[in-house]
Amino acid sequence: MKLYETTIIYDPSLEESRINEEIERVTQPIGSAGGEVVDVQRWGKKKLAYVIRKRRDGTYVHVKHKSPPSLIAEMDRRFRLNESILRHLTIMAPKEEPRVEGAPVEGAPGVSAPAVISD
Amino acid sequence: MARDGESRSFRRKFCKLCLDKVERIDYKDDRRLARFITDRGKIVPRRISGTCARHQAQITEAVKRARILALLPFTSDQYR
Repeated sequence: MKLYETTIIYDPSLEESRINEEIERVTQPIGSAGGEVVDVQRWGKKKLAYVIRKRRDGTYVHVKHKSPPSLIAEMDRRFRLNESILRHLTIMAPKEEPRVEGAPVEGAPGVSAPAVISD
Repeated sequence: MARDGESRSFRRKFCKLCLDKVERIDYKDDRRLARFITDRGKIVPRRISGTCARHQAQITEAVKRARILALLPFTSDQYR
C-alpha cells in the first residue's frame, strides 16, 4: 500500500451532483481494493493555463489515498475512458515528515533513526 | 563610454528557497512556482535565478507536474 495523490480535472459543465457521483466512482474502487481514502479536496472551478479540449476552465478534485500499486494502472485506464475528465495526474505522495521546531537535524551524529514500524 | 565591468555589480546570488527554508516544493503551489518561470513559460535557469541544485531539481519536477494539470502554461501563445 502506497500513498498517492490523484488530481482530476473534470469538465466545467458538470453539475455538483455529477461531480459527487464521479468522486464516488474514484473513491469506491480504492476501498474495495483494500486501500484507504485519506483526503478529498475540491478545488472547485479554476481557470486552465491553456485550453484543453476547447475548455478554458476545469473543475479540480484532489484525492489523497493509500492504494495497492496495481490499482493505479487500472485507475489510469478508467480515467482515460471517461469523457468528462479533461486531465488527470497521479503521483506518489512524498512522505509527510512533521517538522518540529528545534527537532534534531536529520543524520546528526549520535542520533539514531527511530525504528521504522511497518504496518 | 565603456566602464569596463566596474558598473556591473557582482552581488553574490543566493538561493531564495534556501533562505526561506523551503523543505519541499509542491506542484500544487503554482503561485510560488510562477516565480521560477519566464513570461513565456520557460523554467528560469539556475545561472539566472541563483537557486541551488537541490531546489532547482525540485522546481523542474514541480513545474512539469503543474503544467500537466494546466496550473502553469507549457508556453505562452499570446506572442503569436
